[in-house]
Amino acid sequence: MKFIQVFIVIMAALALASCSTKISYGDATSVETTTTGFGSTDLQTIAEKLVDDLITFPPIVQMTSERRPVVFVDKIKNKTTEHIDTESITDTIQTKLLQSGKFRFVDMTTVQAVQEQMKFQMDSGMVDSNKAAAFGKQTGAEFMLYGNMSSIVKRRNDTKDVYYKFTLKLVNLESGIIEWASEKEIRKSSEKTFFLN
Amino acid sequence: MLKIKLKMAILTGFSVLTLGCSVNETVTVVVQDDGNLTQTIESNSDLLAENLMIAGTKTAFVGDLLKAQVEIKNASDDRLSFQYKFKWLDKRGFEVGIGSRPWHPISITPYESKMVQGVAPNPSVNSFTVLVQD
Repeated sequence: MKFIQVFIVIMAALALASCSTKISYGDATSVETTTTGFGSTDLQTIAEKLVDDLITFPPIVQMTSERRPVVFVDKIKNKTTEHIDTESITDTIQTKLLQSGKFRFVDMTTVQAVQEQMKFQMDSGMVDSNKAAAFGKQTGAEFMLYGNMSSIVKRRNDTKDVYYKFTLKLVNLESGIIEWASEKEIRKSSEKTFFLN
Repeated sequence: MLKIKLKMAILTGFSVLTLGCSVNETVTVVVQDDGNLTQTIESNSDLLAENLMIAGTKTAFVGDLLKAQVEIKNASDDRLSFQYKFKWLDKRGFEVGIGSRPWHPISITPYESKMVQGVAPNPSVNSFTVLVQD
C-alpha cells in the first residue's frame, strides 16, 4: 500500500516537473553533442585550427612580421547536404585573425552601405567637405581567403557516421599563387541505444 | 530498506552531478623572460586529475606567438573521454581572449598518451594553463 502511495507521489512530481520551463545560461564554448549535425563545437574547432595553422605557417610568419597584409574573405562553398551558415565560420576566422594583429581585412559585404554613406558625405551638403571621406582612397586586398566544406554521411541500422572536411586557402590576388592551405577534418557518429536491450 | 535505497540514489545522483561539473587546472606553464619554463602541475583529487598525467610540455615562439604542446597520459586502465582547452595569459596574469577558446573533446585509451597543441591568440601571451573537464 505504502509503495503505491510513494509511486503516485513520484509520478505526480514528475508530471509537475514536466510542465515547468527551466531556462539557464550555458558555456558557449563547451562541447555540444546534441546531434551529429554541424554544431557550435565544430565551428569553433574549425576556426581555431585553421587560424593557428595560418599564423604559424613559416612564410606567413615571415611576411606578417614585416607588415599586416590586407585580406578579402570570399564565401565558403557548402558542398554538404546540410544547411550550414558558412559566413559564420568565416566571420569567426576573420575575427581571430584580426585579434592576432597579423592581418587586416576589407569587407565586401558593406560596399553598398559604405558607398551610400560616402555619397551622402559628398553630395548632401550637410558634411564639412574638408572632413568628408574621399572616393578612391580605399586599400585593395592583397590576398583572398576562400574554401570548401564537404561531408560524407553513412548510415547502417541504428548507426550514423558523419565526416566533415573544411578546406581553407589563401591566394595572392596579383600572382594567383596559393600561398597557404589547410584542412580540418571532423568525424562524428551516433548510435541509437535503448535502456532495455 | 526503501529509505536506504532512496538515500543511495540521491547520493549517487549528487556525486555524478558534481563530477560532471568539475574543471581541473592540470598544468600551468610560464615562459620566463630568459626563455626558461616554470611548470606547475596541479593534482586535484577529482576523477580526471587522478587518472590523467602530464607527460611533458613543449613551448616555442613562432614569430612572436607562443606555441605549446602538452602530452597528456591516461594513467588508468579505462578509456577516458574528456574535454580540454588552453587558457592563455599575458605577463600580468590577465587572461587573453576570454571565452574565445572552445573546449575540445578527446578520448585516450588506457595507458596511452596524446599530444594536444595550441597557439596563443596574440603576441601578449607568455603563459598558459591547460584545463580539463569530464
